[in-house]
Amino acid sequence: MLRLPPAIFVVVLVGYPLLIASTTAVLTTAAAAMVLCALGIVARSTPVVVAGGVLALGEYTLALWLSPGPPRLAGAVLFGVALILLLETVDFARRVGHAAMGPGLVSSQIRYWGTFAALAGTAALVVIAVATAASAVVRLPWSPAFAAGGAVAALVAVAVTLRRAPG
Amino acid sequence: MTLAAWGLVLGVFSGRPELVVTAVPLLFGLLRRVEANAPRDWRVARSLSVDRALEGDRVVVTVTVSAGTSVPLVELFEPLPPSLRVVSGSNRGFFTLVRGQDVQWKYEVECRRRGRVSLGTLHARLWDRAGLHVAGTSVQAPGHLRVYPRPLPLRRLPRPRRTQASVGNYVSSSLGEGLEPGDIREFVPGDRIRHVNWRASLRFRRLFVTQYHKERNADVVLMLDTLAEAGAPPATTLDASIQAAASLAGAYLARKDRVGLIEYGGPFRWVRPGSGRAQHERLLEALLRADVVFSYVRGNVALVPRRVLPPQALVIAISPLLDAHFEKAVVDLAARGFDLVILSPSPIPLVQDATRPSRSVDLACRLWALDRQARSAALHRLGLTVLDWDPRESLEAALAGFTRSRRRSVAG
Repeated sequence: MLRLPPAIFVVVLVGYPLLIASTTAVLTTAAAAMVLCALGIVARSTPVVVAGGVLALGEYTLALWLSPGPPRLAGAVLFGVALILLLETVDFARRVGHAAMGPGLVSSQIRYWGTFAALAGTAALVVIAVATAASAVVRLPWSPAFAAGGAVAALVAVAVTLRRAPG
Repeated sequence: MTLAAWGLVLGVFSGRPELVVTAVPLLFGLLRRVEANAPRDWRVARSLSVDRALEGDRVVVTVTVSAGTSVPLVELFEPLPPSLRVVSGSNRGFFTLVRGQDVQWKYEVECRRRGRVSLGTLHARLWDRAGLHVAGTSVQAPGHLRVYPRPLPLRRLPRPRRTQASVGNYVSSSLGEGLEPGDIREFVPGDRIRHVNWRASLRFRRLFVTQYHKERNADVVLMLDTLAEAGAPPATTLDASIQAAASLAGAYLARKDRVGLIEYGGPFRWVRPGSGRAQHERLLEALLRADVVFSYVRGNVALVPRRVLPPQALVIAISPLLDAHFEKAVVDLAARGFDLVILSPSPIPLVQDATRPSRSVDLACRLWALDRQARSAALHRLGLTVLDWDPRESLEAALAGFTRSRRRSVAG
């Protein structure tokens, strides 16, 4: 039962880039990502699923690179949410593997994931809105540096938060 | 973190905003910071379906968890001793608790080996929903289980040569009140009319009465060798010896005999001969704690008090004959006139089961079997009876080889 939700997320992650560009290269990367993710789900191994996620991101990049056009931001939000939910569901399955589960545990966890997905999607939309506003202010030669700086700042903030986390 | 960083790197280098947007939910997930401390009013109670069981029985363990405050995700783990094995359910559980809710968690264990089992500490881990933080604690929930050896069916038992004064199931050679007819003699005043043997009286034209054999009990002392053992738990020679001792004790007590126990390890431990259910309990408790403990102390069987080892008692020595000290002790007892039988659970099949089969193991076991035969023959020459018992087979079959007839040789 705990293998179904991650399997659905894998299908979303692997299938969405194929909708953008269904070339042989994308298809091959998708197959590799799917195999790794399936292995991770069966073995309840988060690192293997992370490796599959890395390949899925590569496949997504490849698909975007092969089909230039206007940014598909709604799809990107969906992709990101599916990616984090895949990791969460596999990690949850790993933790509760071979253990007895109390009443209401899965349903409460699904409710939590639903709430989290909504919040994460909203956060992504807020970031899109802020980025759109910032792009109007920052001139073109400075845009890549600005984006790289933002990315580094985000990673450092996450690292600091994790370091300060209790325990 | 890996995926978020990868997404950002791909986004920066490809210049596609979608990849940066993809990383946002991942970063958002990492930024969650939930305190997950153990609740203060944490309560765990454990109950067992039975507190006494036999080897091979199944026991249901019920753990009730209740928390005064809401707990998003709690993981409980109960480490089990090697003598217990989970057969249904799991000894690890995950729960979510709302305020004031009680959650019951059940699993079934099989008792693999006799002994006193203590289920003491329950380990708890309190996770946040995302699994990013965990707080560990442990809860004491005492639970005790006594696992007794499973008695083997026994119908035929070694008969004691000598009986005691109390009423029992053995036909004594002495005459008195009983059911088994013995001799006949002439009637004397005071004899009961119902004992008159009418057939003999008519034949000889004088009154004759039938005499009866008394029915008496016996003292049986089980001498358990705890000097050494062979095999792998839960199938060691000591396990087999204890199972045999428990079976013999139960069978003799059912025949109204007085049964005692001497644990022949380093320092002796014993249970005085007695009868009844209380004595059965005492013997089983003593057998529960019997174990091989290395000691330089070697007790002298001559120092065992007479009330523990009565001179008229049948001594059944249960030993794999791995230690020469035990053989010396039984020879000493036999020399002092004790009625002695040696029941020897063979260590060879148990060791064979515990080791990987190979030609060298097979050869070693054959040599070992020859050595055991030679030692049995040596004991036999000293007048001792050695019953070799393969613990994989029935004990009754081994005891059936003991065909000494003692029916009329008992001395009341």
